[in-house]
Amino acid sequence: MKLFRSLSFRLAVIYGVLFTASVGVLAGVYYWSAIRGPLERVEAGLREEGDSLAALQARSGTEALAAALERRAAAPAPRLAYHALLAPGGQTVVANLPSWPSVRTGKWLRIEADVSREGNEDEYEAMVLDQVLPDGTRLLIGRDIEDLEELEEGIANTAAWLLPALVLLSIVGGMLMSRAIGKRIEAVSSAARQVIEGDLSQRVPVTGSNDDFDTLALTLNAMLDRLEASIEAIQRVSDSVAHELRTPLSRLRAELLDLEADRPEERLSRAIGETARLGAIFDSVLRISRIEARRHAEQAAPVDIGALLRDAVDLHEPATEGKALTVDTAIGSGLIVSGDRHLLFQAVSNLLDNAVKYVSAGRRISVSATTVGGDVLLTVADDGAGVPAGLRDKLAERFFRAPGGEGTPGFGLGLAFVAAVAGHHRSELRFLDNAPGLRVEWRLPRA
Amino acid sequence: MHVLLIEDDERLASFIAKGLGEAGHVVEHRADGKAGLIEASSESYDVIVLDRMLPGIDGLRILQTIRAMEDQTPVLVLSALGETDERVKGLRAGADDYLPKPFSMQELLARVEVLSRRGPARAEPTRIEVGDLVVDLLARSVSRAGAAIALTDREFRIVEFLARHAGRVVTRSMLLEHVWDYHFDPQTNIIDQHVSRLRQKLDQGFDQPAIQTVRGAGYMIARP
Repeated sequence: MKLFRSLSFRLAVIYGVLFTASVGVLAGVYYWSAIRGPLERVEAGLREEGDSLAALQARSGTEALAAALERRAAAPAPRLAYHALLAPGGQTVVANLPSWPSVRTGKWLRIEADVSREGNEDEYEAMVLDQVLPDGTRLLIGRDIEDLEELEEGIANTAAWLLPALVLLSIVGGMLMSRAIGKRIEAVSSAARQVIEGDLSQRVPVTGSNDDFDTLALTLNAMLDRLEASIEAIQRVSDSVAHELRTPLSRLRAELLDLEADRPEERLSRAIGETARLGAIFDSVLRISRIEARRHAEQAAPVDIGALLRDAVDLHEPATEGKALTVDTAIGSGLIVSGDRHLLFQAVSNLLDNAVKYVSAGRRISVSATTVGGDVLLTVADDGAGVPAGLRDKLAERFFRAPGGEGTPGFGLGLAFVAAVAGHHRSELRFLDNAPGLRVEWRLPRA
Repeated sequence: MHVLLIEDDERLASFIAKGLGEAGHVVEHRADGKAGLIEASSESYDVIVLDRMLPGIDGLRILQTIRAMEDQTPVLVLSALGETDERVKGLRAGADDYLPKPFSMQELLARVEVLSRRGPARAEPTRIEVGDLVVDLLARSVSRAGAAIALTDREFRIVEFLARHAGRVVTRSMLLEHVWDYHFDPQTNIIDQHVSRLRQKLDQGFDQPAIQTVRGAGYMIARP
């Protein structure tokens, strides 16, 4: 899908992931230093106390242990001390914990140890180390961790609403960021598209923020300036060459015509014919480059391809009849495209002209037009010698002539003209093997 | 014939002026639209040749101004913007003909001469007689020295166009334009093949060809 491949989407995702991850790391570090650390210190203290109390019992007996526990509970300390000492039979020896599990379930317990004082109930939570001493006496000692418990609860509550807010924020932020970047990129591509369509004066907008995109835009614009200048120069040179050469050519022609009036000689006629051919080459080259340079006409009109094809076949009828060719036509109706009917007609006329030229007398030419998908498919095919596969792509090049065509009239500009017209109409022109012969398929978007 | 040429490109202007001059026409040249407009309104010309793109002003604006002054002098518009909609725009603005660049001098000359003949509008004839050739525009039939000649509709239109401009050269692209209604320079002998078939019908049993070939230019039905 295009969305997942687009840079803006990927940027939005990367932004969201990075944003969420960094906030997550921050929260983790805070949790560790504010809760996990103190809790571990409490655990370590309890383990130490447990060890020394166990040693006391082994040395001085359970009585001494009970007394030590009473002292411990009474001693002032930042965290309240809890205990429960149970005889091997389960009877309570001393305890200030309100409850405990009757059977040992694990080493560490959390026990609620709320204390009622003058009618008020203070909430306490105790972390308790539950151990069984070597003689079967069960010793539970604990320290109050209510402050840490409250903090942990607070963090959990905060996270519960912060997390969705965070995800939302990162999505919105990512979208805004990627949209800003996407807009800049779109500006560059839309300018490029207009250039492709032939408007070389188009430039990439510069925001003036001096950022990377501006640098890119300035570089691209400099490139376009350069390109436009060189293309204009080429255009000017070729136009002036053509104009410059046409004037002496016309004069030469006039002289020759004058000469011929007095002395009608064959060599003179050939020379006059040569000037006409030269003139025609200039005209064709100029015409092709003009069509290529111009953008698709904004006011392109609907053209009936069927009627146009029939007219073209009619125009070439003396030629096809002269060579005794069979012309098969299969032309559908309602084949309307948007374009310039005169250019399209000349292009189709060139295709027919080519087919007539390269096919042997008595052979067959087929002309068809149908709808394929949303397009009009126009085909001109012959059963002549055809063009080798490797050379078919070159047919649209200016002055290219297929091998074997040296004897036939022409300059190798007919199909170059067709290709220029096809490009002008944003359509697809293909040269294919008709086995035998050449088949030209021209796919024009239907109006 | 008196021709006013309004064209800013010096080289092209001198090329046109020379070509028209060699054909015996008197050419007055103006290089910008304003001077051209003043000249067009102060002098009477047979034909105005007007460039579509002039510095500072669109040739079509000049044309509209000329027409707004009730001046019906035939105008031939020259343009590098040679395609359909430009052409339609030009004709709508009051142009009598439209010639895309690049063009050949013969083409321009033929068109200028046809335009000057057209002149101000006159009643549409119903039959044209040129020598022994009679073209009946209502019955759409052609006869030569009294003998009817069977022609196809296409062939009739070729004869009709040539007869309407009898004594003037008609170029191949003018034929393509008026008989087939497509505008381009064919550059192949396709039009010649049509004319040659037509000739076989028209000239059967006659010594003189009804249609003459004008070397390097086109065809003509000569006036006797």
